[in-house]
Amino acid sequence: MSATTELRALRGRGVTGKPENKAAFLFLLPWFLGLFVITLGPMAASLFLSFTDYNLLQPARFSGLDNFTRVLGDERLHQSLKVTFTYVLVSVPLQLALALGLALLLDRGLRGLAFYRSAFYLPSLIGGSVAIAVLWRTVFGADGLFNQGLALIGIDGPGWISEPGTALGTLIVLNVWTFGSPMVIFLAGLRQIPRMYYEAASVDGASRSRQFRSVTLPLLTPIIFFNLVLQIIHAFQSFTQAFVVSSGTGGPADSTLFYSLYLYQRGFGAFDMGYASALAWLLLLIIGAFTAINFWASKYWVFYDD
Amino acid sequence: MQRRLILRGAGASAAALTAGSSLTACGTGGGGEMELSDEPVELRLTWWGSDTRAELTEQAIAAFEAEHANITVKGEFKDWSGYWDALATTTAADDSPDVLQMDEQYLASYGSRGALLDLGTAGEFLSTDGIEPSVLETGRLDGVQYAMPIGVAVLSCVVNQDLFDQYGVSLPDGNTWTWDDYAALAASLTEASGGAINGSGLSGSDNGSIRYWSRLHGGELFGEDSKVVLDPQTLAAQWEYWLDMIASGACESAAQMVEGMNAGIGGDGMSTGKIAMGFLFNTQITAMREASGANMQLVKMPGSGEVDANYFKPSMYWSVSSQSEHPAEAALFVDFLVNSTAAADIIGTERGIPSNTAALEHITADLAESDRLAVEYMNSVTPGPPAVVTPKGGSELEPILRRNAQQVYFGEAEPLAAAESFVEELQGEIDAAK
Repeated sequence: MSATTELRALRGRGVTGKPENKAAFLFLLPWFLGLFVITLGPMAASLFLSFTDYNLLQPARFSGLDNFTRVLGDERLHQSLKVTFTYVLVSVPLQLALALGLALLLDRGLRGLAFYRSAFYLPSLIGGSVAIAVLWRTVFGADGLFNQGLALIGIDGPGWISEPGTALGTLIVLNVWTFGSPMVIFLAGLRQIPRMYYEAASVDGASRSRQFRSVTLPLLTPIIFFNLVLQIIHAFQSFTQAFVVSSGTGGPADSTLFYSLYLYQRGFGAFDMGYASALAWLLLLIIGAFTAINFWASKYWVFYDD
Repeated sequence: MQRRLILRGAGASAAALTAGSSLTACGTGGGGEMELSDEPVELRLTWWGSDTRAELTEQAIAAFEAEHANITVKGEFKDWSGYWDALATTTAADDSPDVLQMDEQYLASYGSRGALLDLGTAGEFLSTDGIEPSVLETGRLDGVQYAMPIGVAVLSCVVNQDLFDQYGVSLPDGNTWTWDDYAALAASLTEASGGAINGSGLSGSDNGSIRYWSRLHGGELFGEDSKVVLDPQTLAAQWEYWLDMIASGACESAAQMVEGMNAGIGGDGMSTGKIAMGFLFNTQITAMREASGANMQLVKMPGSGEVDANYFKPSMYWSVSSQSEHPAEAALFVDFLVNSTAAADIIGTERGIPSNTAALEHITADLAESDRLAVEYMNSVTPGPPAVVTPKGGSELEPILRRNAQQVYFGEAEPLAAAESFVEELQGEIDAAK
């Protein structure tokens, strides 16, 4: 029986109460369970906890908006916001620029393209892992690989990870390095631009750079927009790298205190889970606001060719 | 990651909300008719520490199981920071291990929130007779024995004799030296090595060092009624001392300290032979000797000839969770670990100099060299009054201290302002936990 006749047969028998539907729900059950038990349920619980004083060991006590008013006077939170915003605003544009640049290069039909594509994509797969963060700590340590390289050209580098002035920079570099996933998406986007546009442009005598500005870039704006939204959300949630590199302290001197790391410290280090829950919801609002601004601004620069 | 964190926290908390009432009930009424079961019993034991500790603990577990056929013990171990995260979440989820290793900084946070069993109710299975009363006292909160001190440690100056010999500098006399002598000696080591090493590590950002310094100057970190009584002026003076040390090259730089801290024992300046002197608890000499392969020696703290500022710190405790379904067996196991010579033979001084005097005497006869050094050092120290236990909410002591000290050492804050902020922040955490 072909798929269409099967479909027709299904439709003919009505939608509900049939064995096939039961089977469908049964197969969906693990997903529903996951959604309710480990996503929506805990989210509701954390929303409730954000209005309480809860130390993990004793029952939560309702505390109204205390956790949210506390946010205003919490200097470490303000430091963590400063660190996180710096990280997002510096690393995301750099990462996307690098991804786009390499995608353009690879799109020229390089020999061994598949190899390069995989090689560049690799950091994206492993960049968020604990192992890479440990490696990063070693590479940028005072006696690390990076300084050994600098020593070859006569520069005596500092301990990049252990100086407050440079520690965040190394994490930004780490994030930029994971440019692979936006790059692959850019590559796919570049392939979708019809060749005839370029042919027409060159008939009109447009130079390569003019073709890039007037054809490639406008047609690629939806892809840039997509990558921008995704990477901003991703960067706001960064945790593992700073946690591993600073052994969970966000140090030296709070210079790598990411928002989610601070949230973690309050909740699990200081038995302050009510406040930590409030912080989690606040982060959701911040990310939501950024995404909304992104969508609003997209009206002015994103071009849809249809 | 973010979302997963929320989930972990909230999942645990949802369970805790329902468990909360039964938990407190358990804490107060703790097993009036506690008795040993004839059925097979499985206990869970959790601790933090090194691989060496894990091996020794597994051996001790095997020895206990051999004595009690129906009890099996499952060991779980982690590193320091992961340990406390896991303990907080498992306790919140009503899934705490039966027997847990406890630290002075967390004792009040857990004990006064009903998470630990009153060991007095298990007196039938767990004897406290062999423990020095002043040491036993350190496991009590408001008169309730929530924790059994395993061992005792005392602050010491660890010196790398190999480096002293290599650069032709003679070891200090611990009975007379002052902090000025310490600075001069450290500077001469740096100089003699031509800058290849630093004489001293950078201190003043850990619990032990600021307690010692404040006691040396007639103060204390904590006072009665959960008050932080440390004088900010004293702490600022200590940080200024270390700022001078950094400036003169007598001690390592702040960045080197941070790097060493991240690397832990084995990767820090002391273990890798980049610094010649540092401050550790006396029993850590075993791990330090193993990690460095160098001839480490223990010298009394600078200034200890003038003021008895040092103190015996309970290195760690055993506690029984109030959630344990087998409190009698758990108590019996703690009794074995602390009071039996069989366990003492296996564990030695790895968890501190044994608090049980008979066990200590038993092992003193044939100790390995580093253990012998630790015991001898301990016997040579005259302690001052016991240090006041860290109050509830004080478990954030070290993170707050480390952050403020680093801001001073990296030149981002003035010593006095940072010292005042340290006292204020710590008091704030403690008040918030009341």
